[in-house]
Amino acid sequence: MKTGLTILALFFTAFTAAAEINPQRAQFNYQMSCQGCHAPDGSGANAVPRMRDFVGNFLVTQAGREYLVRVPGSAVSALSDTDLAEVLNWIVVEFAGDSVATPFEPYSSQEVGRLRQQPLNEVVQYRAQLLADIASTNRRE
Amino acid sequence: MKLIDGFLDKLFEQQTRQLAQRSSRRGMLKTLGGFLVGAGAIPLLPVARAAAAEEAPGRPVEEGDPASCDYWRYCAIDGFLCSCCGGSENTCPPGTEMSPVTWIGTCRNPADGRNYVISYNDCCGKSSCGACLCQRDEGDRPPYRPDKTNDINWCLGTTSATYHCSTAIVVGVAFEGK
Repeated sequence: MKTGLTILALFFTAFTAAAEINPQRAQFNYQMSCQGCHAPDGSGANAVPRMRDFVGNFLVTQAGREYLVRVPGSAVSALSDTDLAEVLNWIVVEFAGDSVATPFEPYSSQEVGRLRQQPLNEVVQYRAQLLADIASTNRRE
Repeated sequence: MKLIDGFLDKLFEQQTRQLAQRSSRRGMLKTLGGFLVGAGAIPLLPVARAAAAEEAPGRPVEEGDPASCDYWRYCAIDGFLCSCCGGSENTCPPGTEMSPVTWIGTCRNPADGRNYVISYNDCCGKSSCGACLCQRDEGDRPPYRPDKTNDINWCLGTTSATYHCSTAIVVGVAFEGK
């Protein structure tokens, strides 16, 4: 019984340490900086891209992974690098669903801080090209 | 038959006496009590707490008149109150459509002293309501911060871009830790 509890405790510690997400803080930051357009469940609206069951597709390529940080909503948001990394990780865990194929390597604040220095301007065209590249990558595999 | 009855009587009597000798009534209470305390501790586990926290913010204790600009949820609003236009602080008037794209702020609820996340979804599809204009604008930023300005028409994502009135829906509790 005691061993069981110890294992359980270790499991919880390991899990939270790996993800480093405070769900309450991440959700609050999502609500304040993203939800207004992307909707409470990440489903988007009209021209606002859907993240729910889709956002994981971008993680297939390095350019796609970088894209999620370089889109204006991320790159020029008022969030700190640490908070932005946490929100992005929370979005993937919360909304990506089956669109994440491989185990997800969480964003670090350093990675986010570096990537957001190159925000995208022509997002719509860039995104379309990116998704075409990702589709051909998936076909080759 | 009598033989069997006698045998059964004896067997049960023997069993009952043995049970009474081996166990105490308090022992039963102790075991039951242990289970009760144990069950009470389960909701303290992080998983259960997270689930409970999600349910809580929906219905804060409230005071005030939703048809008055002083109502606590309107701290960051800029527009006509749907409560004065045939709708409510949570719903659009008949004949209008709620915009899924919206601007979001926080307001302090005087009833419990906590800050809540408020979604100011506009109702669209009819010309301006014109009643109860309310401009409190806390947290409003200039249009170069488009996600944090309430000066633009938020009737985006609806079939019509014509603005009618604004709601103020509680969507969560503000995170106030670090």
